[in-house]
Amino acid sequence: MLKRFTKLITLLCLSAFVISLSGCGTAQKSNQKVTIEYWHVNAESFGGATVKQLIEQFNKENPDIEVVEKYNPDMYKGLTQNLQAAMASGKNPDVVQMGYSYLNYAGENLKYDDIPELLSKQAPEDKNFMQDNFLPNIISLATTDDGKQIGLPYSVSVPVLYYNPDILKQAGLDPNKPPRTWQEVTQYAQTIKDKTGNTGFFMQEYADNWAQQALIESNGGKMLTKKDNKTVAAFDSPEAAQAYQIIADMVKAGTGLHASNEEAFQAFLSGKVGMVCTTIGKRENFEKSAKFTVMSTAFPTFDGKTRKVPAGGNMLMIFSKDAEKQKAAWRFVKFLESPASLALWTKGTGYLPPRKGVTEDPNGLKDFVAQNKNMQSAMSQMPDVVKWASFPGANGLQAEQALIDVRDVILSGKQTAADALKQAADKVNSLLQ
Amino acid sequence: MKINKSYNFHWHILLLIVVLIELWPLLFMVSTSFKTMDQIFAATLNPFPTSFILDNYLRVLHTLPLGSYIINTFIVASGITIAKIFTSLIAGFAFVYYDFRHKETIFNALLFTFFIPITVIIMPNYLLISKMGLLNTPLGVILPQLADGMGIFLMRQTMRGIPKPLIEAGQLENASPWHILTRIMLPLIKPAIFAMGIVFFIDSWNQYFWPLLVLNDKASYTLPIALQMFISAEGGSEWGIAMAVATLTSLPPLLLYLVCQRFIINTFMQSGVKG
Amino acid sequence: MKHYHWQPALFLAPAIIVSLLFSYWPLLQDIWLSFHSWNMVSPNMKFIGLQNYLQLISGPELIKVFSNTFIYIAILVSINFLLPYLLSFVMAHRIHRFSFFYRSILFIPSTLSLAVASIIFLWIFNPLAGPISLLLSTMGLDSPSWFKDPSFVIMAISLIIGWKVFGYNLIVLFAAMVAVPKDLIEAAKLENASSWHIFRHIIVPITSPTALYVFVITIVFGLQYVLVPLNMLTQGGPDQSSTNLVYIVYQYGFVFFQTGKAAAFAVLTMLVYAGFLVIKSKLLNKLVHYEN
Repeated sequence: MLKRFTKLITLLCLSAFVISLSGCGTAQKSNQKVTIEYWHVNAESFGGATVKQLIEQFNKENPDIEVVEKYNPDMYKGLTQNLQAAMASGKNPDVVQMGYSYLNYAGENLKYDDIPELLSKQAPEDKNFMQDNFLPNIISLATTDDGKQIGLPYSVSVPVLYYNPDILKQAGLDPNKPPRTWQEVTQYAQTIKDKTGNTGFFMQEYADNWAQQALIESNGGKMLTKKDNKTVAAFDSPEAAQAYQIIADMVKAGTGLHASNEEAFQAFLSGKVGMVCTTIGKRENFEKSAKFTVMSTAFPTFDGKTRKVPAGGNMLMIFSKDAEKQKAAWRFVKFLESPASLALWTKGTGYLPPRKGVTEDPNGLKDFVAQNKNMQSAMSQMPDVVKWASFPGANGLQAEQALIDVRDVILSGKQTAADALKQAADKVNSLLQ
Repeated sequence: MKINKSYNFHWHILLLIVVLIELWPLLFMVSTSFKTMDQIFAATLNPFPTSFILDNYLRVLHTLPLGSYIINTFIVASGITIAKIFTSLIAGFAFVYYDFRHKETIFNALLFTFFIPITVIIMPNYLLISKMGLLNTPLGVILPQLADGMGIFLMRQTMRGIPKPLIEAGQLENASPWHILTRIMLPLIKPAIFAMGIVFFIDSWNQYFWPLLVLNDKASYTLPIALQMFISAEGGSEWGIAMAVATLTSLPPLLLYLVCQRFIINTFMQSGVKG
Repeated sequence: MKHYHWQPALFLAPAIIVSLLFSYWPLLQDIWLSFHSWNMVSPNMKFIGLQNYLQLISGPELIKVFSNTFIYIAILVSINFLLPYLLSFVMAHRIHRFSFFYRSILFIPSTLSLAVASIIFLWIFNPLAGPISLLLSTMGLDSPSWFKDPSFVIMAISLIIGWKVFGYNLIVLFAAMVAVPKDLIEAAKLENASSWHIFRHIIVPITSPTALYVFVITIVFGLQYVLVPLNMLTQGGPDQSSTNLVYIVYQYGFVFFQTGKAAAFAVLTMLVYAGFLVIKSKLLNKLVHYEN
């Protein structure tokens, strides 16, 4: 029996192996069509289906162009890795989603097509496309520190405060009056803990400082600043420390949670955490997975100060080298940025449309927004959108990691926010030299 | 020796506890994959779903190109397995059958590659594979793994156990070395090769790190890589589905093991891996 | 045995070529890259001499990386070497039935992918909703945030590895344990030797070559197995509390895109590994002599 089994396995393995080797050749290109590659980060559970739908539609409407999509795992970090490798071997994609936090890194390290230059050469009729359709604070999301327009803003996400109305009710709080300020968040979290025994609050802990930036800047602090033409850390200010300390104090009091995202979201969805502060991009997933009605409100503010929320999400960059592909890539980008496509995109992902007028457009999102209360809490924050701090230089990514590390130091209570941020600022400054 | 039942009763309790600890996470994975989202959270500790549902599996089948993931994983695993068996077999043979200068040095140098931590060589290899244009191909995953230091070591050990007269008889008949290897030695060491093959296959089926770097096109994913999609930054918290994919990923190596377990364990015992 | 040059060369060629190209050439390349500042794509790779090494030595990171590595080793050796060693002794010499049953069952987790193990344990260790936290809360205890607490994260990660590797090590050690001649033990018993004496003077010496092998792979591979849960669950955090000598190379190379510094760490890691292996083979030679 064993003998036969061995033979069978060997045969199976051999044949599979041979097939795989012969299948390794790259796909043939057709001569009539321009083929362009679109790289994105949308997993199946996060807009992947919408990407396919959009491409299908575009390919049907544009018989002379063939768009091929490619999913990149591990978000923009993974995508950047793949992009760098692809460019090193001379095979670059044409249209790429790039995270806003990679703005300066991409501007300094990747061979992109400058958007105004590309437009004046390949599509002069669209010269004013940006200025006509985007708000100035949104255009700046894709403009590097030295003023280069390296892409078009595509997806915008903002942080919101989700909450579990059942837990609020159980704690004797009115679910229709969610906390508006951080002081109220602290009080609510305490009440939830006292009355229900559940944890009150969690702020997202992704491998970035996005939500924390919203916290710091809404309290009047800043992440980075320019000094003698050099970027230096600015997050060692009293405002920043005060804001950060609020979260740390909640964790210390047992009313706040310090855990990995996956763990905390899981706990929220299973009804063990009252409030979670994270991206509007999580809306659909939360609504689908929770066993209660997920409600939300805008990112809380500090008394008397204006809210400032960094834009998460991505811009579209173009990397095509020859004119034909550049033209095709631009037509594809224009299609993705059309109100109808953006409406589809918003519905599929929960991102906000970067363009003016999509939410008021009856063909766009008018009905959708009217029906979806959770979208409203995000939409209302569009005027408060600021740039996501992007660490420049070859050590930029490591500098950002230093600030991620300090979050763990502060939240674990090992040091006060002021001390920890001071040390991190020294480290970041030495890395940014 | 007489068996003293009361004497070893507590040892059995101890072993059963260990068995429980080792099996429980698996049970947990399988049972969660059959639960609805509600049950996952409400009845976390209950290993048996209150109502047995196949929803998670059906959704996996509908949303993921599962068939191609299985094929990709199979291609990579079998490619690596066959290549490693072949290179180990002939290299092991060279070390047993021939005498040549620097034999020990060469052997040690080959064995040493087995101990090099993967991250140390991963960067240059990644650059090399990408220069060769092999990113996103199964060949790119397989190529750096065509040989295996431990495989060579095991083959040499096994072949040393073959009685010398058998080989000398072959030499007297003027048989070529290839003939001696394939006709005289091979039949004798088949079980060892088979067991080694199973271990190689299971190991490469489960590989995560290197394929994660080489395969970045969703279509070329292997199963373990597909798994990380479920906990990636914005990937979602669909635990039932994640556990269903985890269960499906584990099934082939598990079945392979269960079918051949007596054989695998016995071979392990006989060869008595020694370093 | 015959003396030909080209014949063994032919048989060895595939293995040698693959090893040179994908193991030794990369090592050399690491050394070369470690003298440069580069981000993997930029056309200008800058020669900066020993700067990467100097930064590496002067930074506080190195101490953390090394101390973490030692903690990993201590935990991994306890759960994947000492524990299976004792248990394999029990299975071989203290019980007389069901040993095959235990072996078959305990081996099962070693057939699974670490990616699978990581996902399962992410759920199991959930501080609020996971099974462990539920068990702890029935005892009135709060579960720590395993993957976010610097004092627990290495333990949690090591337990994942322990769960997977335990059975494999157990079987290998068991094979050595049953190879200890029963009559030797019987003879000692007749002389009224204590259990400890039997263990110390008969079992340990005879099983030592295998034990040493398991000890080495526990460390050498344990530190690498850890990469999968680190990559999937903690990314080396919180505050670099779960990183180690092997992961830090990946982090610099593929997260920070600092190829030169990653290469410098790679060279350092390789030196530590090589040193460890040299000590091991010296020790092995001694043991083998002792045995003969």
